Amino acid sequence: MPVIRKVAVIGSGVMGSGIAAQAANAGLEVILLDIVANEGADRNSVAAGAVQRMRKTNPAPLMHPRNAARIRPGNLEDHLDWLSDCDLVIEVVLENLEIKRDLYRKIDAHRRADCIVTSNTSTIPLDHLVADMPEGFRQHFAVTHFFNPPRYMRLLELVGGPDTQAEVISSLRDFGDQLLGKSVVDCKDTPGFIANRIGILWMGVAVRFAFEDGITVEEADAVIGKPMGIPKTGIFGLLDLVGIDLQPHVERSMLSLLPENDMYRSIHRRSEFIEKMIADGYTGRKGKGGFYRLNRSDGGKVKEALDLVTGEYHRASKPTLESVEAARAGLRALVDHPDRGGQYAWRVLSHTLSYAASLVPEIADDIHAVDEAMKNGYAWKWGPFELIDKLGARWFTERLAAEGMAVPTLLEKVGDGSFYRIEGGQLQHFGTDGSYHDVKRAEGVLLLSDIKRSSERVAGNGSASLWDIGDKVLCLEFHSKMNAVDEGIMMMASQALKIIPAQGYEALVIHNEGTNFSVGANVGLALFAANIAAWPKITESVKQGQDVYKNLKFAPFPVIGAPSGMALGGGCEILLHCDALEAHAETYMGLVEVGVGLVPAWGGCKEMLLRWSDNPKHAKGPMPAVSKVFETVATATVAKSAEEARSLLYLRPGDGIVMNRDRLLARAKERALSMAKDYTPPEPRELRLPGPSGEAAMTLVLNDFRRAGKATEHDVTVGKKLAHVLAGGKVDPTDTLTEDKVLGLERTAIVSLLRTSPTLDRIEHMLETGKPLRN
Amino acid sequence: MPSYSAPLRDMQFVYNELFDPADISALPGCEDATADLVEPVLEEAARLAENELFPLNATGDSHGCQYEDGTVTTPPGFAKAYQEYAEGGWIGLPCDPKYGGQGMPGALNVLMEEMACSANVSFATYVGLTRGAYRAINTFASEELKERYLPKMVSGIWSGTMCLTEPQCGTDLGLIRTKAVPAENGSHQLTGTKIFITAGEHDLTENIIHLVLARLPDAPPGIKGISLFLVPKFLPNKDGDIGERNGMRCARIENKMGIKASATCEMSLENATGWLIGEPHKGMRAMFTMMNDARLGVGIQGLGIGESAYQAAVQYAKDRQQGRSLSGTQYPDQPADPLLVHPDIRRMLLTMRAFTEGGRALSVWIGRNIDIRDRSNNPQARKEADDLVQLLTPLVKSYLSEAGHDAAQMAVQVYGGHGYIRDNGVEQYARDARIAMIYEGANGIQALDLVGRKLPAHMGRYLRRFFHPVQKWIDANTADATLQPFILPLAKAFGRLQIATGQIAQAGLKNPNEAGAASSEYLKLFALVALAFLWAQMAKVALSKKETDEEGFYQAKIATAHFFMERVLPQTGSLFSAIMVGGKTMMEFPDDAF
Repeated sequence: MPVIRKVAVIGSGVMGSGIAAQAANAGLEVILLDIVANEGADRNSVAAGAVQRMRKTNPAPLMHPRNAARIRPGNLEDHLDWLSDCDLVIEVVLENLEIKRDLYRKIDAHRRADCIVTSNTSTIPLDHLVADMPEGFRQHFAVTHFFNPPRYMRLLELVGGPDTQAEVISSLRDFGDQLLGKSVVDCKDTPGFIANRIGILWMGVAVRFAFEDGITVEEADAVIGKPMGIPKTGIFGLLDLVGIDLQPHVERSMLSLLPENDMYRSIHRRSEFIEKMIADGYTGRKGKGGFYRLNRSDGGKVKEALDLVTGEYHRASKPTLESVEAARAGLRALVDHPDRGGQYAWRVLSHTLSYAASLVPEIADDIHAVDEAMKNGYAWKWGPFELIDKLGARWFTERLAAEGMAVPTLLEKVGDGSFYRIEGGQLQHFGTDGSYHDVKRAEGVLLLSDIKRSSERVAGNGSASLWDIGDKVLCLEFHSKMNAVDEGIMMMASQALKIIPAQGYEALVIHNEGTNFSVGANVGLALFAANIAAWPKITESVKQGQDVYKNLKFAPFPVIGAPSGMALGGGCEILLHCDALEAHAETYMGLVEVGVGLVPAWGGCKEMLLRWSDNPKHAKGPMPAVSKVFETVATATVAKSAEEARSLLYLRPGDGIVMNRDRLLARAKERALSMAKDYTPPEPRELRLPGPSGEAAMTLVLNDFRRAGKATEHDVTVGKKLAHVLAGGKVDPTDTLTEDKVLGLERTAIVSLLRTSPTLDRIEHMLETGKPLRN
Repeated sequence: MPSYSAPLRDMQFVYNELFDPADISALPGCEDATADLVEPVLEEAARLAENELFPLNATGDSHGCQYEDGTVTTPPGFAKAYQEYAEGGWIGLPCDPKYGGQGMPGALNVLMEEMACSANVSFATYVGLTRGAYRAINTFASEELKERYLPKMVSGIWSGTMCLTEPQCGTDLGLIRTKAVPAENGSHQLTGTKIFITAGEHDLTENIIHLVLARLPDAPPGIKGISLFLVPKFLPNKDGDIGERNGMRCARIENKMGIKASATCEMSLENATGWLIGEPHKGMRAMFTMMNDARLGVGIQGLGIGESAYQAAVQYAKDRQQGRSLSGTQYPDQPADPLLVHPDIRRMLLTMRAFTEGGRALSVWIGRNIDIRDRSNNPQARKEADDLVQLLTPLVKSYLSEAGHDAAQMAVQVYGGHGYIRDNGVEQYARDARIAMIYEGANGIQALDLVGRKLPAHMGRYLRRFFHPVQKWIDANTADATLQPFILPLAKAFGRLQIATGQIAQAGLKNPNEAGAASSEYLKLFALVALAFLWAQMAKVALSKKETDEEGFYQAKIATAHFFMERVLPQTGSLFSAIMVGGKTMMEFPDDAF
């Protein structure tokens, strides 16, 4: 089986172009074909237009604008011959059997014999698709079902047919997993595969029972969202997001395919209320409004919710359901609560979870695949079987029985047990054979959560822990709130600096499995200290942070950062002090301190100055590097991918990018071990900085911004402090400055900014609203 | 018998010299509050307090209020004094001219209230409650209710109350049971029992406007299900005059330790007609508006009694001759030296004086910030003032009531056995002062409010409004050699406050009991630092005017400042130690061993 290097995507709609973009992000050569345009001279304009749009779409499908150059647009009449050297063709055209079959015949005429062909169909069974195709085609055919948007949704459902070769499946699995960074779940060839099969039923029950039980839109979303570990859009917010008009199509197509006795058939009801909404153009966020809308009349911006009885909008209010409050004590407390929220929760969960339990092994070989699919495809925090474990399988079964609902065989089998258990530190799931099986990880996948299950931490506190990840490598894990860097994290980093040499470890990896690596320093503490004018204490804690980061940099062992998600402010700065990074492709790094009226002061300014002055492409003299850092930091630029981070020098040329975050830790450990051989720490360096004349140049820029109305007065104040640090203070341009001197400038700058009211207002606003304050 | 003479010179010092009165007269609606108006207003208020209210203080105490068949009779003379007070426009002094108020600054009103409390704290309660009810109605009620009720309340023809407490709930208002059922024309029918209702029934006004907390039928349980209602004793008729008697009646009055001339009533509601103020279930918010005003008022009761007690004690210490000075006879021609020669007597007198003068400055400071909060055109200034008022309210309520009580006890001590008997009048101060530490949120609750709400609010933003000005003042004046005796102790105590604040914020995050255990000491530490900040500023003003010191006023001010810094402020050391050591000894003590 060839390694997949060149991919053709056929169909340049939302999904097709998204898949093409992600393939380009993976560094692959991509062909994007669509029909010939009806109008205009450019016969490729349909596909070419899609590539153009990728640059403007939000959230961005491309990890770097230049990746668009890897995608070659063409049309299905002139360029089918381009398929001849492709390793994989992904069909993403209309869900119409005839169109697809016709296309497959054309593809088959041009494809290399070992070229794999897949369809992104979400509704048509695989055997229908290839029924008339020759065996060679059928052997190389599979379904690869992506979720929208393909760059960000982690699920890839992979379905083979009876004739599909095993190597084809393994090749596609590697492609999805390692190149595209997806969580690949093997599915059976059944309607809706796993995620949509369960998802559509879940949405059906959630909507129907809300109408039937007199639950308001806000209440439904409050019950379904956080308490069930489902994104806060809940059910009605989700429908608004995906488009209310889409639902009837999906429902119809499922009904045409599902088995006769499927639970969905008894759940599904046509809703005249919703049909009228669609007919009137209330299709959700893209339409005139949906179950929610933002009312911008009178210059305001009021979130309104739809009354499911009257069909009128009213100001959205936070529901006051005791059951939602009770849910803090656990899922059982929610469904046990007698109020209407608790009853509704039970109705939704009892149907959804028993449905899921009834579908194994019909739709997947094991329950773990089902949970993975719902978690990665619908962004649920817990999969259906994890949810049953939370309720207690026995309790759930008994309540189903007591209420006369069918009890699926699998639930009967699990009896008093649970669907997951930890045996000897190993996570196991309950199998259809009635025994437990290890949850297996692919080769090259190392998860901190697995290590945490099977070992005791080496050291730790409320904010951070140290873990032995094998082969004499220690891992520093953050687990403070939003992984904000606080005293506890600093303490654990210092601890690592002592333990590693003392206990014979050879390297440190800084990694965690949180959504975000770190949102920055815990500025709440700084704010409190500033509010009580505790200036010496603030200076001391800034200095302490600088010392810890500096000690990591000059430690006698390699320190590898392995971030994923946001790495901002102080979280970005710790990475800047690492010897190397292995970054997840979806890493968003940035020194965003100016957003809260501060400057980077844990060595961020200094490290960025060193990086840019090392850049061989720059002209002579200190100013180009300084200007570049000023531009990046003064605008709080956040890289929208690891690739962009590399352009901004948050990542250095030697740093690695890993597409699949499950492979991050293994890669970082590998890097740590290779560096640990013959490791010599870096030497402290001297910086050549421009001094007052450089500062004056940057001040001019700030004043221009102020005049143009692009900067507020306080932006200028903060910018000037930054300029002072980056210029090296009052240094004579013929002299050099030590790293420590630059750290001193950072410290003075941040402490003086913390004395200003607008900075404190910015910090407070950020902490309370999560949004920056422009003051 | 003690006498009372309003401390007008000191009041003028605080209003006009310590602070800049132009800050206040620059506020919209305060243009008239210039020095030449403030002075006669204070003088007139003093005359009223000294001549009308003070003479009724002792007689009011001995007569008390009389209850008979649902009616309450106030002590002789109260009705006449009230009428004069109302006719003079004193009840509406700080109220909106739109409703007939004088629109005078809160900073001035604070001084007037102090005089009323010094002269006759029982009398002051009737007026003070009307003011709190006025503010809640003015802030939250509909225009219709405002139009109908406020003019008569501002003029004093009608009075107000706040009805919170029920037999089963005092501090924990989530337990309220009084029910409100929607009735015709948007009104409600209220049924339930309220206790400890100050001025719930009396003969001073033709109508009484009760603000009542109750639950609507669909109310969520607990504190989130409380609504506020306006329930008049008599329902106004179409012309706005009193009409039909409403179903809210006084069932009995309490027999209590002090403020005997203030009627403390049990009120029974039987299908009483009321109107919702503000939104359903949002009554706590409206109630706190009323409550915050009332809390400041209670602090000022402490201050007022403290001032009277000080004056009585000074008078007695000068007149009474007992023993000889420790350093040798001072008045050989007399049979004995006056008490004033004795160090311990002087300690008590100066402690009282340092408190009343410092407390007065604190009251006016918060009064000025209330004016800025309510009237300034600058939203930032309003926000900052509101923050400071929020922060200082529990301090003013708690510290002034406690120190006022202590001052009253010291006055009794100075009098000795003659203070303990009723004839000399100072034991009444000790009894009257006691309640201020209890009602409107006991002082322990104030301390919890400070550490639990005010400290963590907006990550310490309220604190900034105090800590930054203090730090800046210290920095700005630290080079002034003449101020060293004041700056050094201030800076030291301020440092203690900073450390204790950080400690409570951190320990309290991990274990709320730690914040609770430190709260009372912390509040006192905070209050002493606030007083020190004011005393340092007062000393600076006095030092600059020493040359023109005809009456010896500034000399005395400087000397009292020295006394405060050297003999009062060091308490912060022991408070600090207690805070820092934490609450373990209390919380680990076995319940069974109590």
